[in-house]
Amino acid sequence: MLEAKGLMVFYENMLALNNVDIACADGQIVGVFGANSAGKSTLMYTMSGIMKDIQKKEAMAGGERITIVGEVRFEGEEISRLKPNQRAKRGIVLCPERRRIFNESTVLENLRIGGYLATSAQAKRTLEYVFSVFPALERLQKRIGGFLSGGEQQMLAIGRALMAQPKVLLLDEPLMGLSPLMQATLVRATREIRDEKKISIIVTEQYARPVMPIVDYAFILENGSAVLEGTREHLMDNPDIRSAYFGVEES
Amino acid sequence: MDILIYGTINSVALALYALGFAMVYGVSRLPNFAHGALYVLSGFITWSLLNSLGLPYAVAIVLTLLLTGIIGALIYQLILIRIRGMEISEIMASYAIGLAILEGLRWGGFKGMTYTLPSFIEGSTTIAGIVVDYQRLLVVVIGAAVVGLLWLFTHYTRTGLALRGMAQDERAALMLGIDSDLMAVVAMGFGSMLAALAAVVLLPLGNIVVEAGYNVLILAIAVCIIGGLGSWMGSVIAAFLIGFAQILTVVYLGAHYQMVVALLAIIMTLILKPSGLFGRQKELEERV
Repeated sequence: MLEAKGLMVFYENMLALNNVDIACADGQIVGVFGANSAGKSTLMYTMSGIMKDIQKKEAMAGGERITIVGEVRFEGEEISRLKPNQRAKRGIVLCPERRRIFNESTVLENLRIGGYLATSAQAKRTLEYVFSVFPALERLQKRIGGFLSGGEQQMLAIGRALMAQPKVLLLDEPLMGLSPLMQATLVRATREIRDEKKISIIVTEQYARPVMPIVDYAFILENGSAVLEGTREHLMDNPDIRSAYFGVEES
Repeated sequence: MDILIYGTINSVALALYALGFAMVYGVSRLPNFAHGALYVLSGFITWSLLNSLGLPYAVAIVLTLLLTGIIGALIYQLILIRIRGMEISEIMASYAIGLAILEGLRWGGFKGMTYTLPSFIEGSTTIAGIVVDYQRLLVVVIGAAVVGLLWLFTHYTRTGLALRGMAQDERAALMLGIDSDLMAVVAMGFGSMLAALAAVVLLPLGNIVVEAGYNVLILAIAVCIIGGLGSWMGSVIAAFLIGFAQILTVVYLGAHYQMVVALLAIIMTLILKPSGLFGRQKELEERV
């Protein structure tokens, strides 16, 4: 459904992504794991097209020269040339790192801004769905976004992304800085969204462990390269990988 | 009592000057220094439509609003979009455009005290012993209507909500499929229309002179800085603060200090509370 082939991204001469091939099939949840600065967010930005916006702004302000090489395909079509808002319209919606919710708007307004691409019938239906997946948001409707806790903000960010009617949802470090309880809630919700809405999901995390149970296929990024990939079973069966990436000690 | 009435009228006038500027800045972070020029330009457009083409007043006004909106959008699409995000360049370029428009008008012969627009309704009434003409009352009514409609627009329409999303986090808006370039053009179009609206409502109160362009720009900037750049409701409240301060100055000090009030207010705000009275979010950011 969504795939990247031979993706390379340079910041000036620094290689941020090195020849990365990654794919997410219809209805799959794909994990992308790696340490800080392994290239996870760069990958998400490049696939959603936001990198093109960053590139443009940097070029205009005389900042870093960013080079993007390789192809991104969506439903079989090459989309590297599309701007981020055009990609969102096709159905690739990014729920970014650090959430970036609209701090001055209420929860409900955040969701309604998210529904920019939806028809009013879709928006209504999706709003109800978001409230059913995250009942907490329904209670917080009138609250200003900036005053929510981290977990609430993350729920809102995912809900807002759903309002944009995604076919593929890109979740960039959705669990960062959250309590184990909130992490469990979000992981459960992620699976629910895939199962009920048939939305494919690519999720990045530093720690693979909390999301591993719901992932169908996973890639491991190291210094901008995809060093390992495989199905969940395949990766979990390898003792070296288990201890290195999933924090499971062999006894 | 006259302070209250004329203070309110003056405040609403200031709010009308400032709303367009606040909208453009709020959405696309563009300090539109051509704002005052667009104000004067739309005055002359109305005058020309009225006197050269002989159109009915109402038609001329509607046409002016549309034309100014289109001119603003074109200025953005053709020139300013290329320097998006570089604030100093944006100020220089938009100021240059403003200068070109204003001095171009002067060069084209639009100078002197001969250009006036008729009032919408002639006559006056007395409120609590003070004589107020209908045009000034209309200023207050239209000002209140504009603020109300703007609020409804930004809270209940798809485009309005998108504009607010973009005002808060452009990149997050992009991720949700909102075309930020298009929205910036739309905002500039609306902002220019608001400048034109202020012009057609306020200019019948006096002559259309090129110099007004500079004053309107300074007043709009003063209101926006004091209200907190990007905060629309803050601008409205700041308009009332400056509006009343100006009238009090006129009453107790003399009319020629009026402009000083606005400039002093800018300086005071920048020293004491740089984010403006209501720039809440920006203030938070400054603290972090």
